[in-house]
Amino acid sequence: MRLFRPRSLQLQLALSLATLYVTATAILVGVLVYQAYSTADALSKEDLNRRARHLANVAVVDGSGEPRVELPEWLASLYSSGTFLFDVRRADGPVIVASNAEVRDLVLRLPVPGDEPAYFRLKHFGSGERDYFGLTARVDSRIGPLRVTIARAADDDVLVRSLLREFVFNVAWLIPLVVAATLAIGILVIRRGLGPLRQASARAATIDPGSISVRLPEENLPSEVQPLVAAVNHALDRLEKGFAVQRQFTANAAHELRTPLAILTAAIEHLGGTDEAVAMLKKDVARMNRLVDQLLRVARLDAVALDVSDTVDLSTVARDVVAYMAPLAVANGRSLAAQGVEVPVLVKGNRHAVEDALRNLVENAITYAPPRSEAVVSVDPTGTVSVVDRGPGVPADDRQHVFDRFWRARDSRGQGSGLGLAIVSEIMKVHHGSVEVSDNPGGGAVFTLAFQRSA
Amino acid sequence: MRLLLIEDEARIVELLTAALSRAGFVVDAVTTSADGRAALALVPYDAAILDLGLPDGDGLAVLAATRSSGNQVPILILTARDAVEDRVSGLDRGADDYLVKPFAVSELIARIKALLRRPGGALGTVLQAGNVAFDTIGRDVKVGEARVVLPRRESATLEQLMRRLGRVVPKTVLAEKLYGIDEELESNAIPVHVHHLRRKLLEAGATVEIHTVRGVGYLLEETRP
Repeated sequence: MRLFRPRSLQLQLALSLATLYVTATAILVGVLVYQAYSTADALSKEDLNRRARHLANVAVVDGSGEPRVELPEWLASLYSSGTFLFDVRRADGPVIVASNAEVRDLVLRLPVPGDEPAYFRLKHFGSGERDYFGLTARVDSRIGPLRVTIARAADDDVLVRSLLREFVFNVAWLIPLVVAATLAIGILVIRRGLGPLRQASARAATIDPGSISVRLPEENLPSEVQPLVAAVNHALDRLEKGFAVQRQFTANAAHELRTPLAILTAAIEHLGGTDEAVAMLKKDVARMNRLVDQLLRVARLDAVALDVSDTVDLSTVARDVVAYMAPLAVANGRSLAAQGVEVPVLVKGNRHAVEDALRNLVENAITYAPPRSEAVVSVDPTGTVSVVDRGPGVPADDRQHVFDRFWRARDSRGQGSGLGLAIVSEIMKVHHGSVEVSDNPGGGAVFTLAFQRSA
Repeated sequence: MRLLLIEDEARIVELLTAALSRAGFVVDAVTTSADGRAALALVPYDAAILDLGLPDGDGLAVLAATRSSGNQVPILILTARDAVEDRVSGLDRGADDYLVKPFAVSELIARIKALLRRPGGALGTVLQAGNVAFDTIGRDVKVGEARVVLPRRESATLEQLMRRLGRVVPKTVLAEKLYGIDEELESNAIPVHVHHLRRKLLEAGATVEIHTVRGVGYLLEETRP
């Protein structure tokens, strides 16, 4: 059988501590009660001794030469109440006084005491069926050596009871409180000690392929956990190196493809003519060029940390991108316009990356807009720039996928690399901004890039 | 027109030479940066096409050496590298234009022609677009064989558009070229000039078209057949 072992260190420690405290408290209370009883025991022995001596002291010989025990009135009534049993006799036998005949017989059965008094306990004694604790002793007196026996009802432990009651009411209720407080403090200390670990966990949760340079904080960690965190960080170092190699490979592969593609492009142009096959080839190679270009962009975005701390004027970027893309739009029989670009709109970012993102959106708009329609790049003073087209729009079901790498709509016309919007999304992530797609009220799609305003 | 092509990839050399020859250029091709430097120093080329990735060194070094020797021949850079720093450093060191591989040969020829058309360039004085010819010295505009008379600002607008054939000319640039600092510019002055110019070109049967890029500027394109 296995004991239940919680996985949480905190819970384990708390449970162990709780067990420890409860056990310790139980022992402590036990010791206290035992002490109380033994003290009471000692007290009652002393009480009996005192009473025995007193009985001996009040033993006298009266006028007729008969020995007698002269008790004060109040003591006589107490001793005859049944709470006490007593018997005084001469050491050589004759009884002077006794509570009753039963006691007289009892004394005969008790061992004869030596110099030390002999203590005894009685169970269910006499007519009252009570328990007694008593002593029998030799005591010297004015009338010679006596044997005094006195016992007190054991259920009459008023002293002990009051002592315990006092203990329970004055002290014992504090114990659970102290235990609870100690436990609370213990848990707090543990929690605080594990705080850095929680921070490390939170940091670890943010690590993904895009942020593989993140390392777990190694400061303030409990020394038991520190090696684990350090080991994790070393593992991340190795992973990052592996990743870099992988990314470099993608970048290199895309890069190396360019020269052969340039040759292919030139060769197809060299074929000349208005042959339909040549036109198709040109289209195919153009698409391949684009794919390689986009791959290279993605690889670069992955590999190089983008500096986004510059101030970028969205209006300038929008004008430049529209100017750059307008010839392509015109060649495709569409037109392009810029809106809201008369006043600067300053945001934080990287100029070239923002251009890249916007160019990708404009390319899409030109591709999907119907012939002779106009796509509009619109800058808003709140730090957003939208690209609005009159194309078919993006169905609601596709909206969460359009920004995935290599995702393409089922009925897409096949020109796209499937990387354009992924690049946009990545660029916006680096800028701590967002890209959203919505419906153009008049039909078509609206892609909106939202940036952080520059202070 | 004599061009120097500095490029180490044999197939590209072959294809470019063929295409450029068909476009009416005489092409000398070399494959190393040392040969390129020597050729530029010896022959007064009208323009040069320079690949950045050469077997014996960076093409940018050829560019720097040529410029530091005082040679102002127009140079167009070809690069497979398109990192932003590369473009900037290329233009900073005196390149006149750049194209990123892979490129369309027709684009390369258009860019070369644009370089030659620049003030001081070999094609010099007459701008050509479709059947429109613009003599920058005589400020004569001809559509086909017929002369078209244009007021000063319309003619200046046409010149700007033709100098940047196929590219957008920003409104701000037009405003600068058409009006002096002191002259009042009415908000719709430029659209009005473009409107008149467009109508006159149409009436004359010009095979070019002025496209409006709303919010940015204008774009002159040869009309597609």
